[in-house]
Amino acid sequence: MLLWHTLSDGLIPKPGKVAEAFVHLLGTKLLLDNVLVSLLLTLKAMLFSILITLVFAYLSVIPFFKSLAQFIVKCRYLTLTGLIFIFTLLTKDGSQLKLSLLVFGIVPFFVTSFLSVIVTINPQEYDLCKTLGYNNWQTLYEVIIIGKADQVFEILRQNFAISWLMITMVEGLSMSEGGIGTLLIKYNKYNDLTNVLALQLVIFVIGLCFDYLLGALRHWLFPYSKLKTAKAS
Amino acid sequence: MTNHTKAEIILQVNDVQLSYDRPVLRDINFCIKNIIRPGFQQGQVVTLIGRSGIGKTQLFKILSGLQKPTSGQVTIHNNQPVKAGDMGVIFQNYYLFEWRTVHQSLLLAARKNKSLAGQEKQSIDQLAEQFNLTGHLNLYPQQLSGGQRQRVSIMQQLLKGSDFILLDEPFSGLDVCMLDKAVELLLQVSLSDELKTLIIVSHDIETSVAISDTVFILGNEEGKAGATIKKEIDLIERDLAWQKHIQKERRFMETIEEIKTCL
Repeated sequence: MLLWHTLSDGLIPKPGKVAEAFVHLLGTKLLLDNVLVSLLLTLKAMLFSILITLVFAYLSVIPFFKSLAQFIVKCRYLTLTGLIFIFTLLTKDGSQLKLSLLVFGIVPFFVTSFLSVIVTINPQEYDLCKTLGYNNWQTLYEVIIIGKADQVFEILRQNFAISWLMITMVEGLSMSEGGIGTLLIKYNKYNDLTNVLALQLVIFVIGLCFDYLLGALRHWLFPYSKLKTAKAS
Repeated sequence: MTNHTKAEIILQVNDVQLSYDRPVLRDINFCIKNIIRPGFQQGQVVTLIGRSGIGKTQLFKILSGLQKPTSGQVTIHNNQPVKAGDMGVIFQNYYLFEWRTVHQSLLLAARKNKSLAGQEKQSIDQLAEQFNLTGHLNLYPQQLSGGQRQRVSIMQQLLKGSDFILLDEPFSGLDVCMLDKAVELLLQVSLSDELKTLIIVSHDIETSVAISDTVFILGNEEGKAGATIKKEIDLIERDLAWQKHIQKERRFMETIEEIKTCL
């Protein structure tokens, strides 16, 4: 902060000025409305992404779906920018475009994380199911669906950051509905660096809050995850 | 020698072979008979002894139906080939589902036992009291000590209702105090039903022999690749079975020496 304060010249606003803009921004309806739009879109995208991920991850035990899931994992390296036109053609309106781009961007990361959970399952979990007389579907339900539910939540928490990162980019494509991405682009357009940094701070704080909230929710829903964390540390 | 008779064959292992890039197990043949001991509900306790890395775990998996042998078969009750789920299995580290409380884990096992239909909860409570775990039913496995996990594993398999319980290295990692309790517990289980059969796979010779009625020694023979059953020792015939503090007896120590020489 001291370094920032010292090195700031006319172009880069000083921390005090950014803090002032941050406090001012917090009190405006403009921010609240735009944050709600972005949050809603992020949560919607997360929900669709996790559903698609779970289908592919659970089915990845079947060879055909395994290769499909592995292909999705590789899609992490696809850039969204080159595909925007195709997505525009495939979707009806700006809202659908943003949602589909977000889902397309998030799913490969979700699938990557979830497949790594499945790969590292202790074989004794399957063996115990077999010795208890479970069939394959019961084993899948117990070990992967029920047994890894807490880790799905953890993946959700870890990948919220990716969704939150993408939202500003995606919202810049269709600005009619607003959102923090749209707001950020507007401030950038007028070189309002003080408000850009203040908004970045808001985005950062919201991200941290969600990270904490999802972590707390995970421990509440799956109390054993807290024991695992304690044991690991 | 203690009065007893050996009745029908309850488990038969026929010409079991297991090979990967080299033979691991070969010509494994043995059987376990139902032991009848007047005045007792005497189950069977059999120990498979062998050096580390000899193939005990593979044989353990074949016996439990978790792994298919390259050839040969294991049959139980009326010549039925064994399949996963026929035998209760207690893994070396007493593995339990980490996302289930003790009660939930036990309930999952009890629900698989048709003879307990409608009485699962009462059976769990009864067994929990017997195993001194009533106060631990709502805990998760991570909150249990090694000994408590072992008891829960045994309870789980008892509730599942299989006559056979396979135990992989049940004494490893236990301190002296826990070891005595584990031994007591296994003896208690072996006396719970006439057909209850414990098959212990271990390299802890003294402890496992002390609670067994039969010992099979798994080892290599010179010039032949793959481990096989080198020797069967009937501890009842030697008057070494079903006796407390047998470990202090000279003839017990002689048998231990005999086993060690054979390994």
